[in-house]
Amino acid sequence: MRIARLVCLALVLGLVSTALPQAAEKEPTFTPEQIGFYEKDVLPILKENCFKCHADKKARGGLKLDSRAAILKGGDLGPAVLFDKLDDSPLLKAIHYKDGLEMPPSGKLPAAQLDTLVKWVKMGLPTTPAKEQISKSDEHGKLEITEADRNWWAYLPPRQPTVPTVKNPAWLSTPIDAFVLSRLEEKGLTPNPQADRVTLVRRLYYDLLGLPPTPDQVDAFVQDKRPDAYERLVDTLLASPAYGEKWGRHWLDLVRFAETNGYERDGPKPYAWRFRDYVIRSLNADKPYDQFIREQLAGDELPGEDADRIIATGYYRLGLWDDEPVDPKLARADEIDDWVTTTGQVFLAMTMNCARCHDHKKDPIPQSDYYRLVAFFEDVKHFSNSRDPRSMANLTDITPPEQRKLYEEEAKRREIRKAELAAAMRKIEDEVIKRMSAEDQRAAEGIDRPTVIRRMRGYFQGNEQETYVKLRNERNQLDRVQIPYQQMALSVNNCLRNPPDTHVMIRGNPHALGPKVEPGFPTVLGAATPKIPKPSHSARTSGRRSVLADWIASRDNPLTARVMANRLWQYHFGRGLVATANDFGKLGELPTHPELLDWLAVEFARDWSLKRMHRLIVTSSVYRLASTGQSQALTVDPGNSLYWRYSMRRLTAEEVRDSMLAVSGQLNRRMEGPGIYPTIPPEVLAGQSRPGEGWGKSPPEEQARRSVYVHVKRSLIVPILQTHDLADTDSSCAVRYTTTVPTQALGLLNGEFSQEQADAFARRLTEEGGELTEQVRRVICLTTGRQPGEDEVQKDVAFVRSLEQKNNLDARTALKLYCLLALNSNEFMYLD
Amino acid sequence: MTRPTTTGSFCGRTRREFFWETGAGFTGLALTGLLSADGFFDRPAQAATGKGAFLNPMAPKPPHFPAKAKSVIFLFMYGGPSQVDTFDYKPKLYPMDGKTISIKTFGRGGHKNEGRVVGPKWKFKQYGQCGKYVSDLFPHIGECVDDIAFIHSMYAESPIHGSAMLMMNSGRILSGHPCLGSWVTYGLGSINENLPGFVVMLDKTGGPISGPKNWSSGYMPAAYQGVVVRASGTPIHNLQLPPGMTREAQRQLLDRLREKNEEHLASRADNSELSARIASYELAYKMQQYAPEAVDFSKETAKTLTLYGIDQPRTRDFGQKCLLARRLVERGVRFIQIYSGGAHNDDNWDAHTDMVKNHSKHAGDTDKPIAGLLKDLKQRGLLDSTIVVWGGEFGRQPTAEYAVGTGRDHNSYGFTMWMAGGGIKGGVSVGATDELGNNAVENRFHVKNLHATILTQLGLDPNRLSYFYGGLDQKLVGVEGADPIHQII
Repeated sequence: MRIARLVCLALVLGLVSTALPQAAEKEPTFTPEQIGFYEKDVLPILKENCFKCHADKKARGGLKLDSRAAILKGGDLGPAVLFDKLDDSPLLKAIHYKDGLEMPPSGKLPAAQLDTLVKWVKMGLPTTPAKEQISKSDEHGKLEITEADRNWWAYLPPRQPTVPTVKNPAWLSTPIDAFVLSRLEEKGLTPNPQADRVTLVRRLYYDLLGLPPTPDQVDAFVQDKRPDAYERLVDTLLASPAYGEKWGRHWLDLVRFAETNGYERDGPKPYAWRFRDYVIRSLNADKPYDQFIREQLAGDELPGEDADRIIATGYYRLGLWDDEPVDPKLARADEIDDWVTTTGQVFLAMTMNCARCHDHKKDPIPQSDYYRLVAFFEDVKHFSNSRDPRSMANLTDITPPEQRKLYEEEAKRREIRKAELAAAMRKIEDEVIKRMSAEDQRAAEGIDRPTVIRRMRGYFQGNEQETYVKLRNERNQLDRVQIPYQQMALSVNNCLRNPPDTHVMIRGNPHALGPKVEPGFPTVLGAATPKIPKPSHSARTSGRRSVLADWIASRDNPLTARVMANRLWQYHFGRGLVATANDFGKLGELPTHPELLDWLAVEFARDWSLKRMHRLIVTSSVYRLASTGQSQALTVDPGNSLYWRYSMRRLTAEEVRDSMLAVSGQLNRRMEGPGIYPTIPPEVLAGQSRPGEGWGKSPPEEQARRSVYVHVKRSLIVPILQTHDLADTDSSCAVRYTTTVPTQALGLLNGEFSQEQADAFARRLTEEGGELTEQVRRVICLTTGRQPGEDEVQKDVAFVRSLEQKNNLDARTALKLYCLLALNSNEFMYLD
Repeated sequence: MTRPTTTGSFCGRTRREFFWETGAGFTGLALTGLLSADGFFDRPAQAATGKGAFLNPMAPKPPHFPAKAKSVIFLFMYGGPSQVDTFDYKPKLYPMDGKTISIKTFGRGGHKNEGRVVGPKWKFKQYGQCGKYVSDLFPHIGECVDDIAFIHSMYAESPIHGSAMLMMNSGRILSGHPCLGSWVTYGLGSINENLPGFVVMLDKTGGPISGPKNWSSGYMPAAYQGVVVRASGTPIHNLQLPPGMTREAQRQLLDRLREKNEEHLASRADNSELSARIASYELAYKMQQYAPEAVDFSKETAKTLTLYGIDQPRTRDFGQKCLLARRLVERGVRFIQIYSGGAHNDDNWDAHTDMVKNHSKHAGDTDKPIAGLLKDLKQRGLLDSTIVVWGGEFGRQPTAEYAVGTGRDHNSYGFTMWMAGGGIKGGVSVGATDELGNNAVENRFHVKNLHATILTQLGLDPNRLSYFYGGLDQKLVGVEGADPIHQII
């Protein structure tokens, strides 16, 4: 088997060597002739072919070849030369291109040089004596976790800090504000005034629902003079089902949600949409976050019969899957890596993935910790081992019991019918085979019968063939058509009660196994070694994932609550208190407000309620600040890292599309169900090898549903969403980019979607009636939330009239172009 | 610490990306210290002055060291051309035709230990001063061999189209990583803001498998993904005015839009994203004017059109793409990828059943246009600064795939690619496959070495050009790094 060369020298060999360091061996003395042989014949070969990567400061695969001691110490594969088992020596295997080891990679050495090296090894590796020094700095490996590592801010349990005192307590609405204001006061900054009510209502609608408020909704809030009008609005919005659609999408970004498998076929994952609906449902129900974690990581191991718990385990099935992997072992390792990477980053903000091939370069994560985490997931079987994206491992029947009876009857009926069909077919087959060659007749008695059956054509008589084909078609139809009433979920299923052993993979290579490891949590966090209860005889999993889920979803875990509290802050304020929301390690950013983060984490972990946290955050004074600039603050803190104002933001990709649908009056608020397929222009489909493949056709009213329901096909993203920086579908996306490029403008000006929406918008206005002045006012209200001034309205009216006259347009077309303008405006696309 | 909306930076994932935003671009050891200094983050945002510059992610950036080449034209022979029938002359293979031999192969059909030899289906002739043997499939490219460096010892990690395409385009068999063109535009930006920096032209039969994943920017911002450009009609999607819209009406609309946007900006002058967005509409307007000019061949002479084979029905399609590539290079486009072959089976170079039928078609469609491109670039003095790359995602086996027929299965153990221009030596051949042309055995080069060579010629250090993502300094050539092919530069 050819090994993918993500790994260099360190390949394949079973690691006999690690166990047997050869340190005990006596240092032999060599004759001057032997040393001369080394210097004259061997060294030039090494210098020319090996030292570039295996000498001085370079030690690829942990191996250096510039001294005898270094060779015997070896690298990741253990000693490079084993005197007691010369044939097993990695060095000799590598130069002979054996067992997948290929060195030098540029090509096998000429035979004469190989002979020289073999002779040298057999001689006992004579080298120049002066080189026989290994400095301490050459020592490779063993990451030691120090006290300082354990005291890294993110690994210490959050403690509820004292709320700071401030000079201006009147400004405070929540404890959050005290943390923010005290820092501002320290820097001599004054927070902005509160934003006006129109700004606030628009901000809240977008942040909580991802949709613009209608003019009526704006008015209702602006007119509401009750002292708690704002809090009432917050409660109303948090109770709206649109909240789950908005915030569910944040979660989908994190768990790399996509509904296809990628690669050549990029075929659909069966029922992936149920996972999306599960997330939306969970958020709308304000499911406690600890439960949300447990369900996704180990829902199948939780007691009770709740379909959502099964659907939740779709978490493991959302990643890439190659249906024709070049190296199946590597594909499996990549699959588990996807789980380790996603779980590490999403729940713990730890880049465990960096320790797949070696100890983490910056964080105290030894390579073995990565594999200890891998061990928790070993019971989850591969997505599918055939080319079929549906497998026993990734689908579960979640039909409710009362319905199950119905389809079980149907299933039984089908089984009986299939048996009848099979018998009838067999009868014909037997007749036909009798007419075939003796070899075929013989073969038909064994496992090759299907092959023989495929060759029956030409031996049929009378109406045999016709009958046979009819029977076969009926059987195939029974196999193909899903049994009514049956509901399936993308999930884990038929997990292993006794998973295989987990080994460290040397240099991340699944063919080079190191020491065995047991399930365990990252060492630096100091948790006790987990005890995995012995699974019962009837268990269909190893029970390991619940143990992991319980540890993550625990108040004692120093990271879980912090990581999520930080995300909540980030999605409300545009940047997390830790800007690198998936990485709380040394390569990430430090928190700007560590005490506030801790305060939020402790507060959150009280009952793990997201909605309570939203309410707390959006009712703070700091959330309600105006976004305007202040010259002093812009100088001291241009990036607003102290939150002296609310930071403006562009609408997200989904908000752009959904808002256009909303103001044009087209938005269909239907929830749940299989994904929708907005029309993608042929120019874009042309990029596929089979244009249109895997992209269905939805009726117009279905196409007008919210973007969270758009089918997520990894290799084909709806253009308006893609150009506005939708999350990448292949790995966890913690923070979306905001790019500004001319192709966005082209799409919004000329693209089919915005043209249609502008047209629908104009139609809406026409239907609603009124003079042009009235229509212009309405457009501004709908797209910005505010009431325009008379001057502005008059200017826009004049513009429409002039557009009409100068270009000889009819009034309706001119109005459409005005709608198009409004949909392109910065005020529509940005949130104050 | 800066915040995305006021600095125009993408997302604030890491401090390194902020640095990228300032135009300095790269992660170097010396810079890391600078970054952690507080002063950097407290630097007043440039946009505080009001109408900030357009924060174009494609803004030109200086290379790491003086560049030999400015542009790349990657002629992607999708499906995998057979080396022994094109440029890798194996005289010993002819007489073995039909013999079953012991040979280790790995292709779509899995691992095999023996196979029936299919002798090369074309004769080879020597060309040029260097006397390079080229098969009769490419009489025109044959005339250019003195400008070409052939790499006969390429190998890749996968002989399966899906992962092999990703490998050739993004250096990895796993999806989700940015493509070569994304790395180039990320590293260098584009000097023409009226055209995309990374352009892809597809075969008339359709895109390659996995479609847009082959020009995806992966974890980088979407601004670095390839833009599909057509060599006739409307070159770029959304460039054409919608029905009923005139250029004049659009101008009037844009003028009013700008007025309104500027009124909106007046009280938010410190937000450079808003001014960037205003600027982007003017750029879009200019693109509509400028991009069609790039595909307008009316000022090209008949002689040029003939040179590219545009006067012949058979070579017209690919000829137009090659000519457009030259015109885009003239206009400063960084990276152009042209696919020969699309869709599935014999619509591309994937000759599983009949070598002669398949390769005659694809070579016949492209030989003259490619030679025309090389000659035209040379006569205009553009070849010195333009790297032309030819090859597929892998090669093909010396043995037959099926019991009958001349088709060959995929082969990633050894294959040929060639490069020309941009400081690449001409008239040289490096590396070798074994005498059957099955395995690269001498001076073997991984796809990463090819990528490293291209980056190096563009003035980018392949082992330094990095993008911080997922806790790692990601590189096109991977964490292990890769050297350029020194023998040809």
